[in-house]
Amino acid sequence: MKLKNMTNKVRGNMQLHPFHLVGPSPWPMFTSFSLMNLALSMALTSHGYMGHNYFMFLAMFVVFYSMTLWFKDMMAESSYLGDHTMAVKRGMNQGFMLFVVSEMLMFVSLFWAYLHSALNPNVEMGMMWPPMGMEAMSPAELPLLNTMMLLASGVTMTYAHHALMNKDRKNTLYGFMYSTMLMVVFVFCQGLEYSFSSFTIADSVYGSAFFSATGLHGMHMMMLAMMLAMCTWRVYNYDFTNTSHVGAETTMLYLHVLDMMWLFMYMVMYWWGS
Amino acid sequence: MAIDPETFKFETPQFDPRFPNQNQTKNCAQNYVDYQKCIAIKGEDFEPCKIFWRTYTSLCPVDWVEKWNDQKEAGKLPFKLD
Repeated sequence: MKLKNMTNKVRGNMQLHPFHLVGPSPWPMFTSFSLMNLALSMALTSHGYMGHNYFMFLAMFVVFYSMTLWFKDMMAESSYLGDHTMAVKRGMNQGFMLFVVSEMLMFVSLFWAYLHSALNPNVEMGMMWPPMGMEAMSPAELPLLNTMMLLASGVTMTYAHHALMNKDRKNTLYGFMYSTMLMVVFVFCQGLEYSFSSFTIADSVYGSAFFSATGLHGMHMMMLAMMLAMCTWRVYNYDFTNTSHVGAETTMLYLHVLDMMWLFMYMVMYWWGS
Repeated sequence: MAIDPETFKFETPQFDPRFPNQNQTKNCAQNYVDYQKCIAIKGEDFEPCKIFWRTYTSLCPVDWVEKWNDQKEAGKLPFKLD
């Protein structure tokens, strides 16, 4: 039937574009409120306006809760409703690329902050880096192990990617599981390293710059571990096909970006800067 | 180090290519550090140490030198002297 021969009622049932017009959803508003809660309770707790961190952890829980529900809807829309056409997937990929670029710029600003003080340490710091009296972490111990684990995760990720593209379910599962485990171990080792550190985020510009940068990276690693766990679960659930797996592709891109970020961070802040 | 007005020759630091900028803060601080290192090894009467003394005395605000001297006495000087 030609379009001009249709009644408006019939034409209303046709979608003349490939895009996904999302239905009404509570999650954007719900997530916004929970994020605002998290930001406020975090700031109020860390500046001592609240004597406890219950609200902070409650807000964090609500953020995870709202994200879980939102992502659940998105997975239903893609895997079960077929709303994610090629155009929609391209849009999501492009959106993720923009996100990754903005993330990289955020890390650039932290490197800038670090190098601003490190390349020309001022008189108050004893004209040396790390500043007089600060004891840097050894780059040859846990951080080196962490570097090797991240390099290994790049390998297991590519292993999973190729298995996924070649319809090899078993090896895809293994690849994602190995990558997830490497991320979890990395985060655990960073936690150990932090807890045995001789300085804190409040100890001079060295501590501030070091923990801001590596801490932000660590938070991203936790996020990545969750993304990888989610991918493993979705592979297990047959959510991905060999040609349609945007969630897996973005997770892989993210893993490599964070790997590179860590490599630079290791070279500059752990090795050169110690 | 007392200054004798009869023999005192007014000398100001010459250009130091390590500190080419208009801001001479680090020139001052580095010469203070070098003087402390120098007298720690050679003693206060060792003549070549005096170039450092003349330079930092000329470049540094008196407040800074007093602060560093106090910190040095208290063992809290934020410079590496070894």
